[in-house]
Amino acid sequence: MPDMPRHPWAHYLLRRATRFLISMALLVTATFAMVHAIPGDPVRAALGATASPELVAAKTHELGLDLPVWQQYARYLAALFSGELGASMTSGLPVAQTIADRLPYTSLLAAVALAVVMLVAVPLGMAMAAVTRGGRGRVGELLFTGVAGFLAVVPEFLLAVCLVALFAMGLEWLPVADVTGSMGPEFYILPALALAIGPAAALARIVRVEGLQVLASDYVRTARAKRLPARVVHLRHALPNLLTSALTIGGLLVSGLVAGSVLVENVFAWPGLGTALVEAIRAKDFPVVQGVVLIYGSAVLLVNFGVDLLLGRLDPRSVIGES
Amino acid sequence: MTALEFHGVSVRLGRGRRAVTVVDDVTLTVPSGGVTGLVGESGCGKTTLARAAVGLVPLSGGAIHPRSRVQLVFQDPYSSLDPRMTVGAAIAEALPRRTRSDEVSRLLDLVGLDPALAVRLPRHLSGGQRQRVALARALTARPEVVIADEITSALDVSVQGLVLNLVREIQRELGLTMLFISHNLAVVRYVSDHVAVMRAGRIVESGPVEQVLSEPADAYTRTLLAAVPTLRSAPGA
Amino acid sequence: MLRIAALLSLLFLLFLTGLGPIIWGDDALAIDTAALAQGASAAHPMGTDGLGRDVLARIMVASRLTVGLALLTTAIAVAGGLVLGGLPAVLGPRAGRLINGFVGLVVAFPGLLIALVLAVVFGSGGTAAALAIGVASIPSFARLTQTLAASVAGRDFIAAARVLGVGRVRMLYRHILPNIAEPLVVQATLGAGGALLAFAALSFLGLGVQSPGYDWGVLLNEGLNRVYINPAAALGPGLAVVLAGLAFNVMGEYAAQAFGGRSRVIRTRGRSSRPAPGPALRVRDLTVRYGDAVPVKGVSFEVVPGERVGIVGESGSGKSLTALAVSGLVEPPGQVSGDIEAAETAMVFQDPMTSLNPALRIATQLAEVATTHEGMSRRAARSLAVTRLTDVHIAQAARVVRQYPHELSGGMRQRAMIAMGLMGTPRLIIADEPTTALDVTVQKQILDLLREVSTTTGAAIVLVSHDLAVVGQLCSRVLVMYAGVIVEDLPVSRLTAEPDAGDGPAHPYTRALLAAVPDLTADRSRPLATIPGRMPSPLDVTGGCPFAPRCPRADSRCHAETPAFDGAVACWHPHTTEHVLKEESR
Repeated sequence: MPDMPRHPWAHYLLRRATRFLISMALLVTATFAMVHAIPGDPVRAALGATASPELVAAKTHELGLDLPVWQQYARYLAALFSGELGASMTSGLPVAQTIADRLPYTSLLAAVALAVVMLVAVPLGMAMAAVTRGGRGRVGELLFTGVAGFLAVVPEFLLAVCLVALFAMGLEWLPVADVTGSMGPEFYILPALALAIGPAAALARIVRVEGLQVLASDYVRTARAKRLPARVVHLRHALPNLLTSALTIGGLLVSGLVAGSVLVENVFAWPGLGTALVEAIRAKDFPVVQGVVLIYGSAVLLVNFGVDLLLGRLDPRSVIGES
Repeated sequence: MTALEFHGVSVRLGRGRRAVTVVDDVTLTVPSGGVTGLVGESGCGKTTLARAAVGLVPLSGGAIHPRSRVQLVFQDPYSSLDPRMTVGAAIAEALPRRTRSDEVSRLLDLVGLDPALAVRLPRHLSGGQRQRVALARALTARPEVVIADEITSALDVSVQGLVLNLVREIQRELGLTMLFISHNLAVVRYVSDHVAVMRAGRIVESGPVEQVLSEPADAYTRTLLAAVPTLRSAPGA
Repeated sequence: MLRIAALLSLLFLLFLTGLGPIIWGDDALAIDTAALAQGASAAHPMGTDGLGRDVLARIMVASRLTVGLALLTTAIAVAGGLVLGGLPAVLGPRAGRLINGFVGLVVAFPGLLIALVLAVVFGSGGTAAALAIGVASIPSFARLTQTLAASVAGRDFIAAARVLGVGRVRMLYRHILPNIAEPLVVQATLGAGGALLAFAALSFLGLGVQSPGYDWGVLLNEGLNRVYINPAAALGPGLAVVLAGLAFNVMGEYAAQAFGGRSRVIRTRGRSSRPAPGPALRVRDLTVRYGDAVPVKGVSFEVVPGERVGIVGESGSGKSLTALAVSGLVEPPGQVSGDIEAAETAMVFQDPMTSLNPALRIATQLAEVATTHEGMSRRAARSLAVTRLTDVHIAQAARVVRQYPHELSGGMRQRAMIAMGLMGTPRLIIADEPTTALDVTVQKQILDLLREVSTTTGAAIVLVSHDLAVVGQLCSRVLVMYAGVIVEDLPVSRLTAEPDAGDGPAHPYTRALLAAVPDLTADRSRPLATIPGRMPSPLDVTGGCPFAPRCPRADSRCHAETPAFDGAVACWHPHTTEHVLKEESR
């Protein structure tokens, strides 16, 4: 048995924080390296073949791309620390401004979708585990795994297309995004659904499998040997042990949601970061790509960091249990 | 044959501030051709000492002699055999290519198994048969020293007897030097000539087996002996 | 059923990719200027595109490129993942930690995001996108390979191979990879489905396959632009993507099932009632079935209040299942029949670590018994928990109740389990190998505690153990089980008696078992007594005595007729009878 550190919680916090910072450094370096890995002249690629050589040279100098690589890296870091993300190559607008305009739409959409995922998947998965434990309820199990399996495979952007076709065009119940007007809550329903259904199905499946494992564990057997009512066995003994894994996977789902949101936004013409990213990639507008990828990446890392801290609080073993 | 010697052996596991001394300055000699039992409770460091002797765990101090021709037989015959390898392939792995099939048959015969079992996978064998295969595999390297680490604790009592008898036979026949590790004092007493008692990484007592068990000098040895459950605790009663 | 679905999926994919371009190739190119951008019709079931080409034909033709690119992507991901994930095993611990750490950091980022960044670098186009998605998926495959390899690397057969001098490279391909191949194949198949979807996504965004080439993603994008006019043109390629994705998934699931195996299921039927007075436990004709296997075959016995009874037997004798069935804890597919009348029961299990809930404090786990069954208030139940922990000799019980199970030692946990049983007023404590996971000094303390509890509360104890000596320490009576039946019921004093004196165990199996266990007085110069052969499996239908094949006293009758249990022994030639007969003949 290893010696217990004197302050296990502080130790844990320190390790997680270090990990977060290293990941951030990796992200920053990767976005910097991206521009340099583009074959040929990135400025020429962005401005197009018709741009005059003088313009290209001026832009190259303005971006500091004629400096040695290490100096460019230093400039990049210094700019980042002062909150400076450069300007778009095509529109000339500051990248920070673009992000500030679009981030609220994207983060609200992701938050709504995540809430739907957690609120639907955990109770559903747990209930299915209780119902199908030990090979009971075969029909229910088949139906659940079939439907959930199918929904988990359908990619978000296809779901989005189907939802648009069905609710917005076929039945004309719900609107799709309208960039000109204000975006009321009704605009969020379809994109949030498109984003949430797949992950919710996937999470519900995992929660069910984990739930079956927990329900078959020795300590649940102990709880049943104590002849506790089923409600207590499930809610008090099984659920806490399930939440830790649900939360871990929930954290992973967030990165999936981020990726999915890029696609869903493009289907709904959502005025968020995802549409900006895809437009920028098509236009090879790399300052915008850099900025948006930085935001997405750090959002994912922040969520992971938060989940780690929450897990440390929820599961007393994880703090000292890992090496 | 060679004696197995531990000179001031220490092992620290883990890294940095979390490192723990698992084996602490152990000096012990297993006489050439003899069997020394090593007893102690779980976590006392006896398995780590065995793993250090075959180089699976690095030493942080001291020396072990010899460094080669030492083989280890593991506790759990269900995990110590590769589930994807036939018995024959597992035994043949350390053999020179030319003599393989003859040698595999000879070794299987030596441990009292039908050579026809060579084509089987471990999952088709019983626990006792697997442990005999593990022993045969250890013998392929023609070791001078064999370390048996709790080799019967995963087995049923009726099988335990078979394996213990076999170990004694082979040890005598090949004149092996053997370190026999077990938490079971009765089993150690039955197999060993000498015994060493380990606690918290240190050897607290060692000597001829009858002497240590009948006149224990260390308080911990006495506690261990008193705790052994026995059916004939009061003979004649 | 899954097998058929997997086969159909494979045929479906082979048909589309193999024959699709051949059959529909011409239709997909035929430009029908009379039917530009039309909706669904008899001639064009999914309508036509802007140049009047048939959408359905184009979907069929696009399947080869789509599936091919998905497979290329998967190949890149798997190859890269295997190299990156396998390297640590070859390079040794220091470099391995570095690689693992790096992979761990990269894997936190969403794959599609990495793919988009790489798409900027590699540019647009089919092969470039395959490279981007493939490289983006390498970290997760590397992680999987690593985790799987690490789980295998800790096993003893790897250590054994190392001791034999097997090198690292050979270790990787001969021992590690074969043992993790199955989950990797499953994951690769599922990964191919994922790659297909990711590719469709990239093409849909205009970053994948470029015009005039087209895959399903491109068709989907084109279709979406005209979704108001012709929904089928958007839904068609979408359906194709989903079907192909499902096909890969079904094949992956089948592979997982074929490798993993799955048991059939049968419902439980069993009765257990709890009348108050009378014996602490009465079991009549208890049988436990798992499909065709019958591990417990008609066991009957009684335990009177305050009695301490041991059930001994080797693994496979049915002793633990008997204990579980008595407590009503046999789970489906197990099937219990027979009559069980048990007084209020507490259970103590083998492994105190896994038997206590790791997420709940000791106080909660103890107190809930009293709040649920005795209607006690939480506060009262909590203070009772402290009292009970003190009863089982846990020092500083008030502090221990606030702790989690992982903060206690093995012996402490087992004490807490016993204290938990004492929270009610049990008249029967069933302890299933309660000391097997504990050290010998702790074992003695736990056995002493169980004896004390039984004496002070008057609760009967059923102790299940493989160890005759442990049973001898605690119990007054022993039931010996063999192959699912009780073969002998005897007082412990007969176990300890000299077998030659005539009042030793009657059943040859009990005697053989006793002789096989070395104790501290065993004769070291003689080989240990052994029992040849092995116990019949629960699947075997035995005519005759189940022990007959291994019994030195067996004759033709033993092989033909099953001896009935007469309340003391189930044997045609028990030792005592012979002894008595000898006496009589003298």
